[in-house]
Amino acid sequence: MENSSSQVPVTVLTGFLGAGKTTLLNRILTEQHGRRYAVIVNEFGEQGIDNDLVVDADEEVFEMNNGCICCTVRGDLIRILGGLMKRADQLDAIIVETTGLADPAPVAQTFFVDQDVADQTKLDAIVTVADAVHLSSQLGEHHEAEEQIAFADVVLLNKIDLVDQSQITGVKDRIRKINPYTKIIETNRCAAPLDEVLGLNAFSLDRVLEVEPDFLDSDHDHEHDDDVTSVSFVSDTPLDLEKFEKWFGNLLQTHGQNILRSKGILDFKNEKDRYVFQGVHMLMDASPMGPWPEKSIRNSRVVFIGRKLETMNLKEGFESCKSD
Amino acid sequence: MNKESVIKSRFEENGKVFETGAPVTGAVSIENAVAVGFGDGSIRFFWPDNDPIEVQAHSGAILSIASSNDGVITGGQDGRFLKISTNAEVEEIYNFGTRWVDNVAAFESMVLCSSGKNVYIWSDENDKPKILEHQSTIGGIAIDQNGRRIAVSCYGGVTLWRLEKNKWKSSKFAWKGSHGKVGFSPDGKYLVTTMQENELHAWRIRDKASFAMSGYPSKVKSFTWAGDNPYLVTAGAKEAICWPFDGKEGPKGRKPLCIASGGQQNATFVESLPGEKAVFAGFRNGMVLLSELSEHPNDVLIQNPTGSEVSNISISPDRSHILVGDSKGQILWSPLWEQ
Repeated sequence: MENSSSQVPVTVLTGFLGAGKTTLLNRILTEQHGRRYAVIVNEFGEQGIDNDLVVDADEEVFEMNNGCICCTVRGDLIRILGGLMKRADQLDAIIVETTGLADPAPVAQTFFVDQDVADQTKLDAIVTVADAVHLSSQLGEHHEAEEQIAFADVVLLNKIDLVDQSQITGVKDRIRKINPYTKIIETNRCAAPLDEVLGLNAFSLDRVLEVEPDFLDSDHDHEHDDDVTSVSFVSDTPLDLEKFEKWFGNLLQTHGQNILRSKGILDFKNEKDRYVFQGVHMLMDASPMGPWPEKSIRNSRVVFIGRKLETMNLKEGFESCKSD
Repeated sequence: MNKESVIKSRFEENGKVFETGAPVTGAVSIENAVAVGFGDGSIRFFWPDNDPIEVQAHSGAILSIASSNDGVITGGQDGRFLKISTNAEVEEIYNFGTRWVDNVAAFESMVLCSSGKNVYIWSDENDKPKILEHQSTIGGIAIDQNGRRIAVSCYGGVTLWRLEKNKWKSSKFAWKGSHGKVGFSPDGKYLVTTMQENELHAWRIRDKASFAMSGYPSKVKSFTWAGDNPYLVTAGAKEAICWPFDGKEGPKGRKPLCIASGGQQNATFVESLPGEKAVFAGFRNGMVLLSELSEHPNDVLIQNPTGSEVSNISISPDRSHILVGDSKGQILWSPLWEQ
């Protein structure tokens, strides 16, 4: 993905029906006046969006013929984003509202797979609105709810006035177990500061550098096979580039379907640059990001969010990439 | 790029350049003019002997444009399907509200458009449109040379509709993947689509035998037909890739001609020069070349790089002028021949 200021940022709003997506959307549109937004809504979505540029879309998920079994994209987004780029008026941002039951992966993958989309727009962040009252039960019943949390760069934990403090703590623990790196903002009526929701640049490789997996939660409770969890590893020994490429490529090929998101900062032996990657399922964006800052600790850090992570021998695999 | 050091082409010397500020999204010939659709919803008619005439038609970008027998028809992001006469009269054929009108086409007095998953057909006799439904959002529509068949592409292939006893009967040409533009070969024997992947797909209509034309470094955004064979001329590579469609099997197992090789970037638009074995190719950096359909073609420079992707090349119906439009809204309108 290119990094250029001419790319229009795209924010993806997910969350179950009734969580407050439309409330957040209208808050963005009224508070950020003077800015020009295009809003892409689903025909089954809630009504009453107050904006002069609303585009109706069907959530059309397409398989790509690229031999990658989990590579699905949102065909309607390719068409609509391409169409919006033909407009003469410059848009400040585009907001995509998904239906409650949508899987965010095809949306994110669209920005990796389609060159025109990647050239002209950039995925800014996935923002998930969660209902503090109902999220716990939704997580148990719908795997889409887990995916929406797993992919979220920001979770707006909404309707906190309807629950007590212990319930808030409980639901936040649930969220952290799925995705320890998401930012949780507690809100009523989605009243979040908009600069914590928009303009986050969360999918840029720069932002991966801010990932701080300083915890190592290896003592999971007994969990269901289908639960989404996360693991992270740190190595102070430099890694071997060739070994890492081989292990990681093979890992994504074999288990990409169950790895929802991955991120990492890598220190390779005999390389002066930091290597940064971030991926969605089998698709990955990776690049050297300049030399290590002088005072920082050189080490390698990787994070995986997904299902059945315990079956992938991740720790052994990562350890085996250490240089001799 | 330092513009001072660039040697202008004859076409740039003799022609006029217009900076419209709105991306060129399509163009079509009508009467003796070229009608151009823009990203700000306007249409401009370029005449060989007069100044262009501008008509404000849609709000939001024009997504598709075609010529009908009494004006151009356009589909826009404002959900409107319009007919615009060459003397600037605008008539609304239909309003789809917040749904975009993605594709339009016409044959004699029949006009059609697609919005979402449906194709809407207006014929002479009645005001109510005939609706043809499809399984996913429509990528492209095309009418054959006789106006008896309509090809509609979407996810999973092409639906071919035939008019039999005043009813549209459908037949499916399946191929996995998302299909964009669709067209008939000039003899009506083949269907061709561009795909989301960097390739084209084609079917022989008679027996539905299908084949892929692949190997492109980028998405194929444009194709046209040229020469007597004919050749299917395609964008998407650093040269114009021309597939031979003569013989029983067409391009199956044969190598394409690669012409217009002087562009350093991928071609984004191709157009044939009617009546000649020659092809115009426009590139991502704005360069336009004219090249011969031969093994060892000569290239002629039409336009130097402008820095913006060529989004249209059109020839006026009398072949006197060429129009080049780009994604930033620059138009070159130039006499085609030495005067």
